[in-house]
Formats: sequence, C-alpha cells, structure tokens
Amino acid sequence: MTDLSKIRNFSIVAHIDHGKSTLADRLLEVCNAIESREMENQILDNMDLERERGITIKARAVKLDYTAQDGETYTLNLIDTPGHVDFNYEVSRSLAACEGAVLVVDASQGVEAQTLANTYLAIDAGLEVLPVINKIDLPAARPAEVKTEIEDIIGVPAEDAPEISAKNGVNIPAVLEMIVQGVPAPKGDRSAPLQALIFDSQYDSYRGVIVYMRVMEGTVTPGMDVKMMATGATYKVVEVGTMSPLGLQPCDALGAGEVGYLTASIKTVSDTRVGDTVTGVERPATEPLPGYRTVQPMVFSGVYPADGSKYQDLREALEKLKLNDASMTYEPESSIALGFGFRCGFLGLLHMEIIQERLEREYNLDLITTAPNVIYRITKTDGTVIMVDNPLNYPDPAEIELAEEPFVKASLIAPQEYVGNIMELCQERRGEFKDMVYLDSTRVELHYEMPLNEIIYDFFDALKSRTRGYGSLDYEMDEYRPSKLVKLDILLNGDIVDALSFILFAENAYPRARKICEKLKENIPRQMFEIPVQAAIGGKVIARETIKALRKDVLAKCYGGDITRKKKLLEKQKEGKKRMRTFGTVSVPSEAFMAVLKLDED
Amino acid sequence: MAKKNRMPLGIYIHVPFCRSKCEYCDFYSLGGGKEKGLMEGYLQAVCTHIKEAGALAPGYVVDTVYFGGGTPTFFGAEGMVQILTAIRRRFDVDNEAEITFEANPDSVTPRALRRLRAEGFNRVSLGVQSDDDELLKKLGRPHNYRQVEAAVEMIRNAGFHNLSLDLMYGLPGQTRAAWETTLRHVLEFKPEHMSCYGLKVEEGTPLWQYQEYANLPNDDVQADMYLSAVEIFREKGYQQYEISNFARRGLRSRHNIKYWTGGEYLGFGPAASSDFGGKRFTVAPDLKAYIAGMRTGGAVLSECQEIPARDRAGEYLMLRMRTAYGVEEEEYVKNYLLPFEPLEAILQNYAKQGLAMQDEGRWRLTARGFLVSNAILVELLEAQEQSAPLAKRRK
Repeated sequence: MTDLSKIRNFSIVAHIDHGKSTLADRLLEVCNAIESREMENQILDNMDLERERGITIKARAVKLDYTAQDGETYTLNLIDTPGHVDFNYEVSRSLAACEGAVLVVDASQGVEAQTLANTYLAIDAGLEVLPVINKIDLPAARPAEVKTEIEDIIGVPAEDAPEISAKNGVNIPAVLEMIVQGVPAPKGDRSAPLQALIFDSQYDSYRGVIVYMRVMEGTVTPGMDVKMMATGATYKVVEVGTMSPLGLQPCDALGAGEVGYLTASIKTVSDTRVGDTVTGVERPATEPLPGYRTVQPMVFSGVYPADGSKYQDLREALEKLKLNDASMTYEPESSIALGFGFRCGFLGLLHMEIIQERLEREYNLDLITTAPNVIYRITKTDGTVIMVDNPLNYPDPAEIELAEEPFVKASLIAPQEYVGNIMELCQERRGEFKDMVYLDSTRVELHYEMPLNEIIYDFFDALKSRTRGYGSLDYEMDEYRPSKLVKLDILLNGDIVDALSFILFAENAYPRARKICEKLKENIPRQMFEIPVQAAIGGKVIARETIKALRKDVLAKCYGGDITRKKKLLEKQKEGKKRMRTFGTVSVPSEAFMAVLKLDED
Repeated sequence: MAKKNRMPLGIYIHVPFCRSKCEYCDFYSLGGGKEKGLMEGYLQAVCTHIKEAGALAPGYVVDTVYFGGGTPTFFGAEGMVQILTAIRRRFDVDNEAEITFEANPDSVTPRALRRLRAEGFNRVSLGVQSDDDELLKKLGRPHNYRQVEAAVEMIRNAGFHNLSLDLMYGLPGQTRAAWETTLRHVLEFKPEHMSCYGLKVEEGTPLWQYQEYANLPNDDVQADMYLSAVEIFREKGYQQYEISNFARRGLRSRHNIKYWTGGEYLGFGPAASSDFGGKRFTVAPDLKAYIAGMRTGGAVLSECQEIPARDRAGEYLMLRMRTAYGVEEEEYVKNYLLPFEPLEAILQNYAKQGLAMQDEGRWRLTARGFLVSNAILVELLEAQEQSAPLAKRRK
C-alpha cells in the first residue's frame, strides 16, 4: 500500500471538447505509463462511440507513477468523469472519490455552461480546483483573458494556471507538478472499518462485475466478506488491485486513500450501484458514505425491432447492455402498431441516443423508436395519483383531476449577440425567464425554468443552430408543476396508430399535429387506395392530410435483356414492403416513425 | 422430322452502335465516334457466335429474328444482311418468319431499305419519340420530325407493310394535351404497330444528373398521359396487347411476345440475353471483350443461370400480367403445380377497384391496373411464395 502522503486522487473537469481526454493521454505519456506507440488516441475513452463523439460516457480510472521535481515518486489516481448533463450523478460520485480537480478550459472558448456546472459539482464535493488553460496553440487563444474569466466567473485563482497544449504536448509536466503540490493528500485510517465508495462498475464475462472504488476508510483484501450497504448484497472478495493504463494489476490489499478495483463473482451491476458503500461483513461501518441515491430514468421511449422477428435478439441485447448500465431500465411492452418491443428508460436524451446507437451497432439491430416521453404525474378524479411514462397509459381526459409535468432549471451561456435568439427559443419552448448575468463584457448566462418535455425534443440542436454553435446548456431537475396536457393520437386510414401517440402541452397540439400529418404524408409511400392521415385529441380531429392513391408504379419496358433486372427490381420492392409495418391495410416504412421524431429540423 | 413438330426459336441481334447517345438511354451502345474501327470486328464476332450456337439448336425452327440496339441502320444494311445470311446458314429459318430491325429516321436511305426488304426483312421499328423538334433536341435525338416523315415514306416505298413506331411520353415540360396532339399526329402515318413508353430516368444516364431541373411531369400527369393514349388507340382501332404495345389486328410483334410468354430465344452481340434450354444467360456489355472472346474462344457471358421451376412460376405472373392475354387457372396449375386460389382472391379484389378483369376465363389487368402493375405483382408474388405446391399437398 502506498503511503497516504504520496497519493494524489484527482479528476479532470471540462466542457465538452475542451481537451479533457487529450490531456489525460498526455499525462499518461509523460509518466511513461504507456509507450506512445502502444497508445491509441485517448485511451481512457475506450468505447468506440466515446472516441467518435469525443465524449466520455463511462467513468474510468487509471493509476500513474510520477517522479516529481522533489525527487519523490507519487501515485496519481486519475478518475475520468463523464462529461454530460445526463450523467450528473455519476460525475458527482467520481468527484467524491477525489481530493482535487483539474479544470481544463479552452483558451479560445473560455468558460462555458458545463465548465461551470462541473466546477460547481467539484466545489460542492469539497475539491481543490486547479485551472489549466488548454489549446494555447490555437490562433484565437486568449489565455490571459480566460484566466480573468475563471477568476471572475468561477472565483478560483487562475493566475498561475499552466498554459498548455495537450494536443502538441506543450507544458504537460507543469500540470503534474501542480497536481502534486495543489491536490491535498487523502486522509483516512487504514485500520478502521471498511468504507469504499463505488464510482463505477463494469461487467466482465470471465470475472463477473469489476467494481471500481475509492477506499475512504479501512482496508480491503482478497478473501474478505464484503457488503454493499445500499443493496445489501454480500460477496467474498476474489481479487483486489489497481488500474494500470494497460489493464488491471492485482495486489494484496487496498487501503484508505487508494483507488482500485475488486472482483467477487458478482453477476450484475445492479448489485453494485454507483455511489454505494462497500463495507466489511465482520466489522461493518456504522453508516454508509453520504450522497448515495438511486438513479431514476427521466426519459422514456418505446424501442422496437424494425423487423418484428428480431424481438428475441433485441431482448438479449438489452439484457447484455443492462449488465453494464444500471441506470437504463427496460420492460416489455406491446403496441398494436409495432408488435412486441420494450419501453426503455434513460437518464436523458444523450443516454437514449447512446443506447440506441449501441444496440444498432454492436448488436446489429434495426430499431424503430417512439417519441421520447418524460414522466407525467396525473391525479385522477378518484384521488389516485399515477406516474405516466407511456402515452398508452394516459387516462381518459374525463378522469383527470390534475396533470403535472417535470420542470428543470436550465442555464444557458452564449455570446451576448445571441441573447435575443436564445430568449426567443426558450419562449417557444415555454421557458420562464429567471435572470441574466453578464459573465464578462461579451458573454451572458441566462437562467430559465422550463418543462423537461420541451428540452428532450432537440432543444440542444436548436440552441446550437441559433447561436452558431457558441451556446451551451446545462440543466437540473426542479419540480413538478401543473400543466395543460393532452394526448395526441395519429390515425391512418381511420385507425389509431398507438406507437405514434404522445403527450404534449395543449397549446402546442395544433401546430405539432399539422407538422406530423405533413411529415407522415411525405414519408408514407402512396398505396393502392387513398389514405387519410389524421391527428386527433380524444376523438376530435384537429389536423388532416391525404395520401393520394398510387397511380403509377410500372416497368414500362421489359424485353429479353431486362427480365433478370426487372425481376430483381420486383424482388427489391417485395423486400422493401416486408420491412414496412402494416396497420390494417396501410404499410408504413420505419423512416416514417423516425421522421415524426425530427419535426423541428426544418 | 416435320417442321411443325419442331420447337420455335427467336433470335435477337444486339447492334451496339449509334450516331450519338440519347440523354435518357441506358442500353449498351457506343456512339459519338467511340464506335470507330469496331464495326468490322463486331460483324466477325457476331457471325462466329452465330456459327457456334447454330450447332446447339438442332430441332428448332427460327420463326422470329429481331435486330435491336443501338441503331442497326446506323451500323448499315450491308452488315445486317451478312448477319442475317449467317443466321440462315446455321439455323433453320421459317419462310414466314417475322424479321424486324430497329431504325432511326436519320440513318435510313431508300437504297438500304430496298436491300433489306429484298433480303427478307419484313418489319421495321422506327424510333420517333416525339413530333416536337425542341423536345427531340432536348432528348439528344439525332433527327427532327421532318426526317421522320421522310423515313416513313421511304420505308413504305421500299415495300414494308409492317411498320411500328416508338413514342415516349412524360418528357420534359410535356403536357397531357401536347402528348395527345403528338399521338394523333403520329397516327396519321397509319402504322401497323405502336410502342409508347413513359420516360424512365435511369441511373448513369445524363438525364439522371439533371433530372431535378428537367421539368418532368409528375406521376399523376404521366398516368393521365398513359390513359389518354390507351383511349386514343382504342378509338383508332388498335388493340393493346401489352403494357406499352398496341397493334392492328394480327400485327402484334411476334418476337416480343416470346419475351412475355416464356418462349425461347437466343441473343447475339454484347449485352444480348438468351432464354434457352431452361437457362437464362447474358453476354457481357463490353464490345471489345466480346470481339476478343469470339476470336480466342474465351468466355463472353456475364451471367448464366438455370431458372428453377418456382422462379418460372413467378416469371409467368410477372411477364404474363404485362399482357392482355393475362393468366389462366388451368394453365398455371398444370405448369407449376401451385394453387391459383390465392392469386384469384387478390385479382378479384382488384377487379372491384377496376384494376383487374376476367375475360373469357383469363385474368388480366385493365389499363389502370397496368399503371400500378408492380404493386399488384408484388402482392401476387407474395401470395405465390406462401402457397404450398399442390403435388405435395395431395400426397
């Protein structure tokens, strides 16, 4: 075990794209933890998706040995955190495992919404925040101004912040020295009852769940019986160790102040929740570490295989993903329109996109997803309160006494010339303006209270396009507020297509209904008869389009040489038809379902 | 063996040369100078090919020959005659055989036409496409309408009594009224036969590149154009015997009918297809490779497949339903051992919508049905796919 005074536990916080992962790579390189030729870019982001999107989805930790200028060798534990608002809770637990945070700020972009949000999380967790100015190689770099910004806006001294270029490897040792000197050494009593904070876990098909943790008090050793204090699950520890950049490194024991992993033949990550406390069975801690909560999904959507016969494949894929992602939920649901599928719960839109993309990529599934839905709270006339995460379960309007929807507190930062655009956008989305603060002479932070419902429909994309990419957003859950809600049904040829129903704010119903009908008309091919496309609220039609009957679908010419080719064309047409969903007599391609999810794109 | 007991065979000659390529055309053909120096090699290769194949078809009598392309008349009467002579030498060509060639108005001369007629060619298919010189120019046709008039006169004077004219509708900027005028105008020639094709934008053609700017009539307008053509032909005494083909009584294209009724045919020249001895094969669309292959005895086919019975059953539907002849229960059940009821149920349903009809025990599509025949065929093919063979069921 490493002496407490020689340990530094830290994480790196940043706004997306400010260079967090690149800096992490450089730190690893300088510590010679890995040869540069062995290095694939951004080793910490080892999911394909993470590398492509340049974001960290899951927390990762790595142990570095650094010989400082004082001649001593220090153990630096870097705990990388997810960088998105969907994963705020995970971020907070990772931060709770550290004593310091390196705050990376882009020398040209300056402080942004997530910089603030993540820094506040770090300050709340009692961490020493150490700023670093990155990307000084950029022509637009303005390190001096950004330092002032950090001091003014965040209130953290930044005068001595190293000016670096993680990309070009400039001034990286200065960051390491800063960590050794600025991050407090951990405290803790290695002979006390065990208390270890779980900040991540990962399923491995050979060893079972690998639990990543920070030991706060006591010591954990192989063979020891441990208990997860929140879930109550108990296990015999098989192995403990540390995370070297190239893999897991078993060791004899992990003591207070250290960061490492344990395995104990654990079958599912659901038993090893992020934020839970591992303690000893024989000599348990009197209480768990603070801050644990069960993570609740906030956004729900129906996920169906495009090809109905792939239902089992989808089930297996979800089961496997769930092994590694305790925050996703899924339960079987069936739709008249789409057959058998699952209602899945996600932390937010990004989380939803990630899961869907992984299902499609890693499990080779074609999916149809229904419109995302938040959880509505409905008080019925008989006094019962129900939480509705699925439009199918929305009660008849006559039975509803009170409908409420979740609101969030949103903070938006952008250059001041876009304030008008942002206000307009937020107003369109039913945002309630709270206040506006000038962060410096050019940038403004706006605070709004908004329905979550309005954010989950491409709000982020709209913000980006109306601020030329400069606007940034962060939000946190606030409270439920009474609202005028309606359920909008879509009818094809007179029949309700249940998978297209959704709940929305009553005043948005007319414009949205019209748009949906138009989109469906565009995306459903003409068929052998005329098809009315209608949108209705409780049986009252409020919008209508008509898909005219197909009039021309013919191969005008077919002679000797064409027969094979035309046969293939018909074959293709037949296959295309198979991929469509049939409602009564109407065939609907999966693109039509996707199109109604992207109403605001034009 | 007496001739009437022998199997009929069609012969198709693909002549891959044109004065220039039309904007919409995706047939295999070299034009605009690319053909230079290849015509002689082509002639030798086709004759060699015919010579080799002749040995494979004893017991067949050739009752149709069709020179298509490309533009056979641009290649020249002399070469066409040599090829026909090669065919006669290696195959048993019936005295009553229908021998057709395709021609463009800009590449016919009285002399050439007389020569072709004297050698036994008895049917001409002339590419007219439109009576509007502006449109002809836009389509990249190498002729104007005055040349069409002159060509028809030459053809008649040379002694051809079976003339077919090709027209296209759905052309850039064309209205339904303009199309009807064109049609009536062209019918003044009193052709024995007419083919009318809706313009199809094919990938890889120049038109494909600029289709969005071509001001093409939409599907509804094209459908109306088609229906008015059908009506005008009926009025003028032409019978519609296939989706795009109309003829005076007894003057249907016997060669083309083979394609739609499962007749056997052999194709020569690059890109030519054959359906012979239960196999369908196609020569690769590459003239130089064809010439070289014929010289050295190398392979020239790009595709060759035996067609299983089940596929033939599908082809029966796909091809017969193009024709006014349609399909019939006994014929279908006997040949393919599949139940007809599922098909009949679908057709009955479409009959209610006026898209299909039963005529003397045979099921066919109406003109409006032809217009959406792909969608109907897909449904019929699905039903066929799902039906169990009768022979098995009876066991």
